Amino acid sequence: MTATNPRPTGADTELDEASSDEFDHARTLAVDHDWFKRAVFYEVLVRAFADSNRDGTGDLRGLTDKLDYIQWLGVDCLWLPPFYDSPLRDGGYDIRDFRAVLPEFGTVEDLVVLLDEAHKRGIRVITDLVMNHCSDQHPWFEESRRNPDGPYGDFFVWSDDDTRYADARIIFVDTESSNWTYDPVRGQFYWHRFFAHQPDLNYDNPAVQEAMLDVLRFWLDLGIDGFRLDAVPYLYEREGTNCENLAETHAFLRRCRKVLDDEYPGRVMLAEANQWPSDVVEYFGDPAVGGDECHMAFHFPLMPRIFMAVRRENRFPISEILAQTPAIPSGAQWGIFLRNHDELTLEMVTDEERDYMYSEYAKDPRMKANIGIRRRLAPLLENDRNQLELFTALLLSLPGSPVLYYGDEIGMGDNIWLGDRDAVRSPMQWTPDRNAGFSTADPGRLYLPPIMDPLYGYQAVNVEAQLNSTTSLLHWNRHMIEIRKRHSAFGLGDYHELGGSNPSVLAYVRTHRGGSQDGTDDVVLCVNNMSRFPQPVELDLSAWQGCRPHELTGGVPFPRIGELPYLLTLPGHGFYWFSITPEEEPS
Amino acid sequence: MTELASSPSADLAALLADWIPQQRWSGAKGREVGSVSVVASTPLPIEGLDVDHVVAEVEFTDGGPAAHFQVLAAYRTDVGGELEHATIGALGGRIVYDGLWDPAVTKWLYEAVRNGCTVGDLRFVPEPGVELAPGPPGRVLGVEQSNTSVVYGERSILKLFRRVAAGGNPDLELHRALRAAGGTEVATLQGAVEGVLHGEVAVLGMLQDYASNSAEGWAMALASVRDLLAEADLRADEVGGDFAAEANRLGQTIAVLHGDLARALGTAERDTAEVAAAMRARLTVAATDVPALAPHTAAIRAVYDEFAALPGPLPAQRVHGDLHLGQVLRTPLGWLVIDFEGEPATPLELRVRPDSPLRDVAGMLRSFDYAANHQLLDADATEPDPQRQWRAAEWAERNRSAFLDGYAVRSETDPRAQALVLRAYELDKAVYEVVYETRNRPTWAPIPLNAIVRILAPSTPRIDSVP
Repeated sequence: MTATNPRPTGADTELDEASSDEFDHARTLAVDHDWFKRAVFYEVLVRAFADSNRDGTGDLRGLTDKLDYIQWLGVDCLWLPPFYDSPLRDGGYDIRDFRAVLPEFGTVEDLVVLLDEAHKRGIRVITDLVMNHCSDQHPWFEESRRNPDGPYGDFFVWSDDDTRYADARIIFVDTESSNWTYDPVRGQFYWHRFFAHQPDLNYDNPAVQEAMLDVLRFWLDLGIDGFRLDAVPYLYEREGTNCENLAETHAFLRRCRKVLDDEYPGRVMLAEANQWPSDVVEYFGDPAVGGDECHMAFHFPLMPRIFMAVRRENRFPISEILAQTPAIPSGAQWGIFLRNHDELTLEMVTDEERDYMYSEYAKDPRMKANIGIRRRLAPLLENDRNQLELFTALLLSLPGSPVLYYGDEIGMGDNIWLGDRDAVRSPMQWTPDRNAGFSTADPGRLYLPPIMDPLYGYQAVNVEAQLNSTTSLLHWNRHMIEIRKRHSAFGLGDYHELGGSNPSVLAYVRTHRGGSQDGTDDVVLCVNNMSRFPQPVELDLSAWQGCRPHELTGGVPFPRIGELPYLLTLPGHGFYWFSITPEEEPS
Repeated sequence: MTELASSPSADLAALLADWIPQQRWSGAKGREVGSVSVVASTPLPIEGLDVDHVVAEVEFTDGGPAAHFQVLAAYRTDVGGELEHATIGALGGRIVYDGLWDPAVTKWLYEAVRNGCTVGDLRFVPEPGVELAPGPPGRVLGVEQSNTSVVYGERSILKLFRRVAAGGNPDLELHRALRAAGGTEVATLQGAVEGVLHGEVAVLGMLQDYASNSAEGWAMALASVRDLLAEADLRADEVGGDFAAEANRLGQTIAVLHGDLARALGTAERDTAEVAAAMRARLTVAATDVPALAPHTAAIRAVYDEFAALPGPLPAQRVHGDLHLGQVLRTPLGWLVIDFEGEPATPLELRVRPDSPLRDVAGMLRSFDYAANHQLLDADATEPDPQRQWRAAEWAERNRSAFLDGYAVRSETDPRAQALVLRAYELDKAVYEVVYETRNRPTWAPIPLNAIVRILAPSTPRIDSVP
C-alpha cells in the first residue's frame, strides 16, 4: 500500500490507521542489551544524502544505496531525523501522520527495505519520534477541533482562556508570543510548547497514551531499532509548575520502556532533553534497576565546552562540566556530539559563555540562529586539520557514544546565506560531478544548492576524492573509528581524569574492568593538548607502574611507566591514545 | 624527645652539615653553614625499618638566627636505585637516607595521623570529625622552598614543613579556622603533625584534601598571555584565550575568603601611620640595596605620607599575606587558595598580625602584572618590542579590572573605593619585589621597576570596569 493519511470515517468513530500487518518486516539483529553503549552513531538527513529518483530531494532508496559507504566508515547505527508525512513547517518535526512516510522520501515499504539492508550489514537504525505534539494538519487535531465530544475531542489541551500554566516558559522566543493559540473552529485556546502549528497532545487522556504506544509498536514491528524521543520533558502540564520534567512524564516513559523491554528487547529509547546533566539523568530512570526509562540521553553542555576549552587553551571548561555530570544507571549511556542538524546550541551555557561563543565562533551575525550557532564543524574550526582531528579524538574518547553528523567526516562546509537551520543541511558531497553526485536532477530542482565555495565546495571536498587519498580526513576518521572499536574501554569504560599541572592538557583514563579478550582490564589513556602550542605534561600513572603504554594509531611502545611522573610532550592541538598493558616478559 | 650527645648523633650531624645546605628547602643558598647539631631524635615504630625523626639546628657563620630543620633519617644496609638520590651518607656500616622518599615511611606517617598516634614528643592529630580511609602509599609530589609534599592517592596531601619554627603556624591556624567556619576556598584540613622545639609546640606538617585535578593560576595566566602574544593584532578582549572570566571568578573567591577569615578570626583596626611607617622602613632598606630605586623614593614616600595621613583607622583582619597567582589552584569546581604561611622573609609575629585585606588584593594585582610581562623577558634578552609591551600591559589591565570587579561583587566594598590604600600596598609589594629580583633574578627586576613608574605616574589610567 502507499502512504496515505489516516482516513476519516465519520465524526463519531475512530480513524482507520495503518497496521504493521499490512507491510513486510525487516530482518532483525540478534538481541544485544549493550550495543548502544559501544556504537558509533551517524546522523543522516534522508533529504540530504542521496536522491534515487531525480526529483532533487534525497530519499530512502538513495540512502539504502549508500549503506556500503556507511558500513565502510564503521558506523554502527544510523539516526534519521523524522521521515514521517508532514507539511514540513518544522523540518518534519510537525508530523501529520505517525504511520506514514513523507512521499518525497518514499514509502513505508522503502523504509522496510532500508532497515533490512542495514541489518544485513550489521547496522542499526533509530529515528526521531515526536511524542509531545503533532502537526495541526494531523487528522487527530482536525477531529478534535471539529468534534469536541468525539473520540479525539480530548486528544489535545484545550482551554477557554489563555491564562493557565503561566509559569511555563516560551521556548521559541523568536517566533511565538504565547504557549496558547485561539482556534476559531472549536472556539477555544489550545496549548503548544513549540510552534503554534504544533498542538501538544494531551497525555492525561489514556487514549492518547495508548495511541502513542501503538505508534511505537508500529515501527518496532517493521524493524526500527529505537527512537530518539523528541521534546520529551514537556508531555504533561500542571498548574504552578514550569510544566517540564513532571513526575507524570517520567511515569509515561516507564510505560514506553516496558513495552520495549517486554515486546522488543534490545531496542532503545534516547531522550532529547536539552537540560543540565544533573536534570537529564532523571530520564534514565531508577538507578537501582539499571535505569527504567530512556537508555540514552544527549549530553548537551559538553559540546560547547569542548569548543570553549580549545579556544581558551585550557581543560577546565571540559573538566568542570564532567565533574558536574552525575553518575548514570548501569544500563544507560550518554550520547555526545560535536555538531548535529540543529544549531550549535548554547542554551546550556551562561550568558557570559554564550557571548564568548558568539564572538569566537559566529563572527558574522548570520551565523547565529535562535540561541545557537549554525555552522558545520570544519568551518567552525577554520578548516584546521589539527583541530578537526583533536575534536574528533575527543568525541570518540570522552564518556558517551559519539554521534557523527553526515558530511563532517569529509569536512563539508556550510552556507550561512540559507535560511533558518538550512546552512548545515546541504546535499552530501559524493563526487566533483554535477550536483556533487547527490542527484542527477536539473540543478535548479535541488532542495538546496550544494556548497560551491572554493574551500569547501564539492569540487574540492567530496567522498570520491577522499576515498582515493589515504591521507584524507575521511580515511583518518575511518581509522580512528576502527581503533575505537578495538577497545571496549571507549564505550564501556569508567572515566577518570588525571589532572596534571599543565592546564592546557586534558588527560583521562578509560578503564573497562575485565574488558580485554584475555579477561584483564582494558585500559586506554587519552592525552589531549587544548593549546595550539606544543606542551609538556607530567602525569601520575603510578597506578600502572611497570606497565607499558602502546600508542594506538601505530602500536609503537612508549617507555615503561616507572615511579616518577610520566613525561609526555604534545604538538600543538596534538593528542595521544595509549593502551596500557602489563609489560610482557622479555623473551 | 631525647637530648642526645652521643657520637652517632654527632656523626649524623656531620653528614647533615654537608647535606642540608644542598637541599632546595634549606634556603641556605648564599649563607655559609657554621655548625649543625641534632637537638632531638625520635625513633619511629615502623616495622622492619630504622627511622628517626630528627630535628637539626643549623647555625650560620653570618651570625644570623639559627634555623631548624626536620629530617626523617632512615637506615638501610643497601638502598636500591629508586632511593639512591635520597642518600644522606654512610653511617655505622649502613646508608642513611631521607626517609620521606621511602613509601614505607610515608605510608606510616599517614596511618599515624589517621590513628592519632603519639610517639615521644611527636603528636599526629586528625582534625575532629575527620574520618580518613586507609591510605595508599605516598608519593612525593614536589619539593618547595620550605616544605615537601606527599600525596596519598587522590584524597590527601601531607605537607611537611622542612624548616621548623616554635610557636604558631599561620598556615595550620588559618586552615583550622576556615574549616571550622565551613570555608570552601581552601583545601579542607584533615590533620596535623606537631612536635616540640625548645619547650614550645612546633607545627611539623599538615594533612589536607588533595585537589588532584588542578592547575596553578600562574600556569593558567601564562597560557592566556601566550595566546594573546601569538596573535598579530587582536586586542586582549578579542582573543580566544581571554582570562578575564577566570580573573573575575578568582576575585570573587578571594573576597569570600576574606569574609570567612573575618568571621572566623575577627576584625581589628590598624593605624595607617604605623602601617606606613613599616612601608617606609622597608623602602629605606631597599633603596640602599637597589640603586635603581633611588629616582623614585621621594615619590613613593609621598604616597606613603598621604596614606599615613588618611583620617580614621584602617580596617584590618587576618589575611593570606603572600597572595599571588602561584598560590591559587584552579580545580574543576573553582579556585582554591593555598599556602597561608605569609611572606617567607617576614618574621612570624608580623605575619600573624591583622592587616588590611587590600594587602592580598594588591599582591594579586601585582601578580597579573608579572604574568603579563614575564614572557616578554623570556622571549629574548634584548629590549622588548614596545608593541608587545603595550599589549601585555593591556592584558594586565583587563585582568586586574576583572579581578577587582569579581572582588567587589562578593565583598562589601570595592577596593577601588580606597584607591590610595591600594596604591600604597601595591607600591610596598613592588618595592619588595625589586629587592627580591635584584638579589635572585636580576633580569626580572624591570617588571616591578616599571610597575613603580606606572603606579607613580600622574596619568595612571584609572582601572575601570570591564564592559
